[in-house]
Amino acid sequence: MTRLQRSRTLRWLCTLATVVALVIVLFPVYAVIVGSFESTETLFSGTYYWLPHAATLDNYRTVIQAQSGNVLTSLIVGVGTAVLALVVAVPAAYALAKYRLRVTVVIVSALLVAQIVPSIVLATSLFVIFHWIHLVNTYPGLIIADGTYAIPFSILVLRAFFFSLPNDLTQAARVDGASEWQTFQRIVIPLARSALITVAVFAFLNGWGDFIFALTILNGATIVPVTLGIYTYLGNYSTQWGAVMAAGAFAMVPAAVMLVVAQRYIASGLTAGSVVG
Amino acid sequence: MSAVTGVPSQSVGAGHGRGGAHVSGVRKARGFTLGRRQHLAAWLFLMPAILYVLFAFALPIIYNIMLSFEQTSPATIADITAPFAGLANYRFILDDPTSRTAIIHTFEFTFGSLVGQFIIGFSLALLFTLRFPGRTLGRSLIIVPWLLPLIVTGLIFRFLFQLEGGAVNQLLIDVGLVHQPIDWLDNPHLALVTVLIANIWLGVPFFTLLLYSALQDVPVQVKEAALIDGAGAWQRLRLVIVPIILPVIEVTLLLGFVFTVKVFDLVIALTGGGPANTTQLITTWSYNLSFQQFSFGEGAALNNVLLVLAMICAPLYLYMSRGSLRSSSGAEK
Repeated sequence: MTRLQRSRTLRWLCTLATVVALVIVLFPVYAVIVGSFESTETLFSGTYYWLPHAATLDNYRTVIQAQSGNVLTSLIVGVGTAVLALVVAVPAAYALAKYRLRVTVVIVSALLVAQIVPSIVLATSLFVIFHWIHLVNTYPGLIIADGTYAIPFSILVLRAFFFSLPNDLTQAARVDGASEWQTFQRIVIPLARSALITVAVFAFLNGWGDFIFALTILNGATIVPVTLGIYTYLGNYSTQWGAVMAAGAFAMVPAAVMLVVAQRYIASGLTAGSVVG
Repeated sequence: MSAVTGVPSQSVGAGHGRGGAHVSGVRKARGFTLGRRQHLAAWLFLMPAILYVLFAFALPIIYNIMLSFEQTSPATIADITAPFAGLANYRFILDDPTSRTAIIHTFEFTFGSLVGQFIIGFSLALLFTLRFPGRTLGRSLIIVPWLLPLIVTGLIFRFLFQLEGGAVNQLLIDVGLVHQPIDWLDNPHLALVTVLIANIWLGVPFFTLLLYSALQDVPVQVKEAALIDGAGAWQRLRLVIVPIILPVIEVTLLLGFVFTVKVFDLVIALTGGGPANTTQLITTWSYNLSFQQFSFGEGAALNNVLLVLAMICAPLYLYMSRGSLRSSSGAEK
C-alpha cells in the first residue's frame, strides 16, 4: 500500500470514528424527538422502533394541556435567575477586576470554593431556613437557590472579561468628572454586552433546567417547573413515556434556541472567560 | 495580555498623585492609589455579591453543620433549631448500611466516571486534532448533550435501557451479541454500571472540549521536533504532548471529580437509587433521609461527609486557579 493510500484510509477511519461518536452522542436527543411523536401503543409495544413508526400529535396535545402553565413557571424561574445573576455578578466582577482591594483574594477564593459545594448540601439547609422565613414554595426562594449554580461562575467569567477592558477608558471617564457609578453604567456595561449575554444565557439555562431545588424547595403543587412536571410522569409501575418525550422535547427548546441565536455572543463571551489563564 | 491594562492607571496614580481636590483622600495601597470615593464605590459594587454568598452559601453550610448535631423530627422542622443530639446523627451514618454503601457507591461511581470520561474524552480530543472530513461538525455537535436538562437525560436513558422495548437491548439482540434482553435497571449487580454509562455519556463532551483546546495550544514546532527525532505516535503522546498539557488534564479531572460527586438528577431519574438501594449515592440517600424520612439531622450529617469529600479538592483547586487570584489585572507588573 502506498503512503498516500494509507493516509487516505486513515482519514476515512477518523471520519468513521467521528460518525460513531456522534451517533452515540446524538442518539438520546433523536430518541426524544422521535419518541415524542410515537403513540402510546408503539412506546409500550415491547419493540424499539429506530425510525418514526406511526406518527401522532397526541403526546403534544397531552403535554400542552398539562404543562403550559409549567412552561411559564420555568420561564419565570429562568429569567429570574438570569436577572439575579446579572444584578449580583456584574458590579462585583467589575469591582474585583478594576479596583485593587485587599479582600479581592478572599472573595475570589470564596467564589472558587462555592462552585464546589454540592447542591444537596445547600438544598437541605435552605429548605429549613426558607421554611422559617416563609420562602418555601415561592419564586424568590427558588430563584435565590438556583442562583447558586450561576452566580460564582458568572462573577469569575465577567471578572476575566473586565480584565481585558483597557483602564484608559474608565480613567478617561473619571477625568471627565464621571462618578464611579456613571463610569460603570455608561462606559463599562455597554462594552461588556456580549459577556453579559453569555452570563444571562447560562444563568437562564440553569434556572430552566434545575431539578434538585425545584424538588426540595417547592414542596407544594402551586409552583411546578417543567423539570418537576416531567418527573411526575414517572410512575411507580408505569411511566407515561409519550408525555415524557414530548415534555422533554419542549424542555430542550430554550437551550437549542439560545445556542443558535446567541452563539456569537456565547463564543465571544467564553473566549473572554478563557483568558483567566 | 492583561499585564498591559494595569499600567496606565498606575502611572496616573504615581505621576499625578498630589493633583486636584478629587484625589485629596488618596491612600497608597501596594503601588496603586485608590481614592476614598473609589474605595466606597468598590465596596458598594461588591455588596450584593457578598450578601448573596453569605446568605446562599455560608449560611446554609454553617446551618448544615448545626443541623447535623441536632435531634430533628418532622415536628421540629417548623423551628429553626432542635434539641442537641451530640454525635448521634454521625453514629447513625456509620451504622446505617445504606449510608455506608452510598458512600462506597459514590467512590466507585466517581472513579469509574472519571476513568471512562477521561479515556473517551481524550481519545476524541486527539481525534479532532487530526485533519479529516467531518471533524469540525463533530466538534460542534459534541456539546448537544448539554441541551437537555439533566432530569430529561436521566428519563431518556431510563427509556433506552428498558428491559423490553429499550433501544440498547434491541440493538444488542439485533446485532446478535446477546440472546436474552439484559435487565440494565433492575438487576442489582448491573444498575450502578448503567448509571455510570449514562454519566460517562454526559461528561465526555466536557472532557473532549477542554482537552481539545489544550491540545490546540501545543506548539507545532514541539510536535515536529519530536517527529524529526524519530518518536513514534505513542511516544510523542506520552513523552511530549501529555507533559505539556498536564496542567489542563489535572484541572479537568479535578472539575470532573467535583461535578461527579454532586450527581443527583441523573440517578433520581434513571433508577431513583434502586433496585434495593444499589444505586444510592450520598446525594440521593441524603435527599431520601431529609426529604422522605424527614430526618434532617441525619441527612445533614451525610451532607457533611459529602462536603468534606468535595472540599478535599478546594486547596488543590485554589492552587490551580492561583493565576486568577491576583488582586487586579497586571498586578505583578
